[in-house]
Parts: sequence; structure tokens; C-alpha cells
Amino acid sequence: MLSARALNLQRITASSSSRTFATAVADAASGVRVAAVDFGQPTSAVTVLVKAGSRFQNKEGVANVLKNFAFKSTAKRSAIGTVREAELYGGLLSASLGREHLALTAEFLRGDEAFFVDVLSSFVTSARFTRHELEEYVKPLVESDAEAVASNPATRALEAAHALAFRSGLGSSLFAPAHNDINVADIKAFASSAFAKGNVAVIGTNIDSSTLNKLVEQSFTAATAAEGSTAAPASKYFGGETRLEGSGGPQTLFIGFGAEGAPSAELAALAAHLSTQPSVKWSKSLSPIATAIPEGAQVQSVYLPYSDASLFGLLVQAESVGGVKEAAKVAVEALRNAAKGLKEEEVKGAVARAKFAAASGVESREGLVNVLGAKIFAGSEVSVESTLSAFDKVNAASFSKAVSSLISAKPTLVTVGDSLNLPHTDELGF
Amino acid sequence: MFGPLGFSLAPYIQSSKTLTSWVKPLANWYANAAGYRQYGFKYDDLLVEENEPVQKALSRLTPREHYDRAFRLKRASQASILHKPLEKNEWTPAAEDVRYLKPHVLEVMKEDAERHKWDTVVVEKK
Repeated sequence: MLSARALNLQRITASSSSRTFATAVADAASGVRVAAVDFGQPTSAVTVLVKAGSRFQNKEGVANVLKNFAFKSTAKRSAIGTVREAELYGGLLSASLGREHLALTAEFLRGDEAFFVDVLSSFVTSARFTRHELEEYVKPLVESDAEAVASNPATRALEAAHALAFRSGLGSSLFAPAHNDINVADIKAFASSAFAKGNVAVIGTNIDSSTLNKLVEQSFTAATAAEGSTAAPASKYFGGETRLEGSGGPQTLFIGFGAEGAPSAELAALAAHLSTQPSVKWSKSLSPIATAIPEGAQVQSVYLPYSDASLFGLLVQAESVGGVKEAAKVAVEALRNAAKGLKEEEVKGAVARAKFAAASGVESREGLVNVLGAKIFAGSEVSVESTLSAFDKVNAASFSKAVSSLISAKPTLVTVGDSLNLPHTDELGF
Repeated sequence: MFGPLGFSLAPYIQSSKTLTSWVKPLANWYANAAGYRQYGFKYDDLLVEENEPVQKALSRLTPREHYDRAFRLKRASQASILHKPLEKNEWTPAAEDVRYLKPHVLEVMKEDAERHKWDTVVVEKK
């Protein structure tokens, strides 16, 4: 009995490991890239990924406004029609913005794909962008986004760090300025450049790839969207220091470094090595930082890979300035030790954790879209195996080389809170 | 039929070429004789605004349209106090007497109708 079950299990794992994650990437006749994968689960999701992240915006905050304009009135249906009809079908519509991509997602029960693909495509091809919707629905959302980030020191620190590290492009904020003069013409101009055919990809999960292909072809060929795709200038790392006032929330310090070029497995391993997230609940992690920082202080390792650059850093937070100072010292020392070289087994452990995080991230829908999104526009093979196999090549020598070249660059330091007393870059030894 | 814009035969008359050619001179004469142009108004300034659709439509005017409307109302109030129409050069020319508010009111009424439709929709399983 037991052996039969074990055998069965083995067969399942064997068949699933042979399956590629995305079964097809087709340049549909419409010129839109399509990838679909079917895990056999009861709800489907379709994500329209547009190269309309904040790095492509031509005016500060336009990308955020465009995100909040999602699912408002189009030539086909009004805003209320979209919402009510989606409710009747029992689906969820959401939009999220990254520095690279704008993702419009519909989650729904199997069988309702025709309606939801139509909702997504009609926004891309025929959104009306009316002035009264901007004033009545969109501006309040944009303001609440900006307000939420203003009261979150960690996000403020990361936004400022991007601006320092990359200046333009990746440096532009995900959020709109509190006082902006974005009007409908700006949004229309940005949308018409962003919704070009080469900028749009459709990723479906739990949906048959031929069905999705057909629907995409139907709904996107009618598009008047222009050919071609937008290209941003290559990212360049600068670095620097800035100190922001912050009232409320913990004292925050971000010390980071940027790397140009495609994201590397070594930096992901470094993030895993320094991560203070324990593998067992209610315990301390084995990270060199976790055991040495004072009680109440937090250090998070932040690794943000983008298509042509990545930002690595440590986010230090504590209630008191003293706690931040001490924890930052510990964190920087751990970073320097990693650059000097780690023991082979330490590197192996870090690589294993990073690989697990990458592999398990793909199991969630958002994680899968993130991974596929990066690849689908690069035109590389759309599978997750190549991401994971990159970790196998990491060894102690390549690890320490990557880390030392990372920290040889000019650091990016952001403090949020008590600007007078939080440490400066030179006080951290850079 | 009796929405915020009131009852109108204009669509029917405009659909017929003969009827239009007969009624138009009369309509133009009436619009001038009504006297609102002599006080610098546009026709949509006279629209009854004490109801929700028109209030919402007013909120959708551009800042410039808002300012101009307020200016016309104030100037006309002053003229009313003086019991005298404006100087002739300040009268609204027929070309400027456009329905700047009507499209917004129609849009709001359409939205209200659609909301009512979705609020009372009966869903049938196929």
C-alpha cells in the first residue's frame, strides 16, 4: 500500500518536473507575446504585462496615474459596467506597478476567460482617459498611494535610494508627487507610447495556451496600438547620500550598492546569506547579522534585480538612533566579511536558501509573472530552470569576487528620521 | 422625458430638412427676443441647476469654463440691479451661445441610467 503510494508520488513528481513552466511563447499574429501555463487548478488568471513601469515615464508620476486609471471607462464599457460585470462573473481585477512593468491582472473561474481577456485588452486598446474620471476616481487613488508611502519610512528610504543610485530611469519614483499637474493629455501620450504592440505581453496561468492565444489574437488585432516598443537608456549606477526628515515610524537607514548589467545569482546568494529571516519560526537565523544586532533592531537584506541593473542593500530599522548605529555597524561588518571570503559551506547554505526562495517564489502567481515577465520581453527562453541553474555555478571564489566588486562602488546611503544623529556614510567606514 | 434638460422637440425637427429650414429662423428670432443674450448669458447658464445631475455636470467643467460662467452670472446680476441690459458690444453673439453644459449633463444622465440598470439587473443562468 505504502509502496504503491510512494510509486504514485514518484510518478507525479517525475511528470511535473519534465513540464516546462510556460508552455508556449507565441508571437501571436497581433504582435503580442503570449505565454500560458496550466497547473490544473480551478481558478485562472491572465496578466497583461506592459512595459510602462516608472522607468519609462516621461513625466514624474504618470506611470502611477496610468496604473490607477486601469479598468476605468473604455470604448466598450464604462467603469461601473466593468466592475459590476466582473462581480457577476466572480472575478478579481487588479493593477500593480513596478519600475519595469505595469501588470493588469484578472483572476476568474475557468471558462470565463473570454470576458476577462476582453476587459484587459479593451483597456490596453481603447481606454478613454476622460478628464472627469481623472478628477473623480483616479486622483484620490494617486493621492492615497502617495500618502501611504509618505508614512512608511522603509518605502521612502527605498524610493530615495533608487533616485540616488540610478538618478533617471530606474531612479524615478513609483509614486506621483503629492502636488502634481498631471493632466489627461500627459496620460494619453504616455499610454499611447507604452501600449505599442512590442511592449505588451500576456501571461496566463491555469489556462489553455491555444485558447489564450486565440482570445489575444481576436482582441488585440483590432488594436490601433502602434508597432514597435519603447526602450529606456541603459541604467547607470551613481550612489550618494541623502537624509530625509521623518516623524513617526522607526529610525531607518538604508545602505546599498548598485550593480549594472543583468542580475547575478551571487547577489541573490548574498541577500540570502545576510537575511535575518529565520528558517524556523521564533528562532534567530544563522545570519552573521541576526545574532549580533541589539534587541529591537531589525536588519533586512534588500535585493532588487531589474533588467539591466540591480540594487542590493541593507535596511536597518530601530526605535532609537543608538540601535540603528549599532545594527548598521554590525551589518556593514558582515558585508565586508562576505567580501573577504566565506567558508565554502556558508556559501553553499546561502546559495541553497536563495535557490529555494527563487524556486518557491515561482509557485505563486505574482512570482511566476515576475520571473516570466523579465524573460518574455528579453526574448530569452521562458522557463524557470535557467534562473535556478544559475545558482549551481556560484562558489566561494565567485561569491567573494562579486561581493567585493559590489562594495567597491560608491555607496548609496539614505536615512529617514533623526537626520542630525543618524550615521553618515563615512561613519560607517566607506 | 422631463429630465434636467427639459422637454425638447429639437432632435425631431433637426431630423427633417424642410422642418429645420422653416423653424430655424423662428428659433433664432426667439433666442434673440428672449433677452438672455443681452445680459451676456449663454443658454446653458439658464439651465436649472438645483438638482444632482446638473451639479455633477457643473463639477466637470474645466476651470476656465467655471470662471467664465461665474463671471457671466455676476455681470448679469449687476446689470439686473441697474435695470438695464449690457452695452451692445458685451451681448453674447449667436456664435458663442453654445451648449457647453449639455454634453456633461447628458453624460451624467447616461451614467445614472447605467447605474440604475446594474442595480436592478436580473441575472439568468444560461
